[in-house]
Amino acid sequence: MGFLEWLQTTPPALFVAETLWAYPLFETLHTIGMTLLVGALGLVNLRVLGFKRELPVVGTLDFLPLAWLGFTLNLISGLALFSSDAVYFWSSITFRVKLTLILLGGINAFLLGQSVFREARAGYAVAAGPGVRLVAASSLLFWFGAIAAGRLIAYLP
Amino acid sequence: MELFTWLETTAVANAIRTIPWIYPTLETAHYIGLALLVGGILLTDLRLLGFAAKLPLKSMLGLLWFVWAGFAINVASGTLIFIYGAAQFSGNPAFRVKMVLMLLAGINAFIFTRAAAGDGERWIASGHVPPAIKLVATASVILWLGVVTAGRWMAYV
Repeated sequence: MGFLEWLQTTPPALFVAETLWAYPLFETLHTIGMTLLVGALGLVNLRVLGFKRELPVVGTLDFLPLAWLGFTLNLISGLALFSSDAVYFWSSITFRVKLTLILLGGINAFLLGQSVFREARAGYAVAAGPGVRLVAASSLLFWFGAIAAGRLIAYLP
Repeated sequence: MELFTWLETTAVANAIRTIPWIYPTLETAHYIGLALLVGGILLTDLRLLGFAAKLPLKSMLGLLWFVWAGFAINVASGTLIFIYGAAQFSGNPAFRVKMVLMLLAGINAFIFTRAAAGDGERWIASGHVPPAIKLVATASVILWLGVVTAGRWMAYV
């Protein structure tokens, strides 16, 4: 028996799969977490791209804990949903695309953290160069792409 | 109701039912709209409640057009999805709760708009948000998270 087969027979996975309210509850938390994560990171990325220059970049970074809260919520709820039907989800190409987009979004957030966030926190007025802007723009594509892929798991192979 | 049964027989409903990619596309649009709408509202509400105080309130309120874009996407996609399954959706308890919460959220937003247009000039510029407005912002967070929750439970009740 492989890892995924084992995972979906563990008590927590069976609980999510078999309890009437558990699956929708975790789906709801996953949707709320998504809103927090993409809402907060969306604002930060848009600001880095040059929207709303009256908003100081360092001020938008105050919303990053909200993004972390959303990420944590979605890691936990996502693991719960995944474990309930692990073999199916892992076999889905759309699910793997979603994971890849999240990974890319995470790498981009890390890159911004090492560059523009650091400058903003050090008190500099940030004017993002083309490289940083590319990172911010692709972040928006990755996160909204992840939402789309997540929604389409039920419909695509 | 007659009207809802009739809606399901319209050409629009028929197209959504028979063309395979339309329904998943509408759902995906509804989720992207949700991220813009609720993400934008939550950030604005949190700023009104005192989070990210470095961000000028006036500029934050200038982001509300993202919220309107999300709202427009979701009214359009939501209406089409409703037409497709009008008889079933209209009798769904979670859908009814969602509509009531949206109505309350709309009234709440109207109260905020009126207050901002009234003596708003003063507290928006100073950033000292009156307690009554903070109450409106808190209600907004609760109502919109309720809308998301009720929407997710529609498939399960």
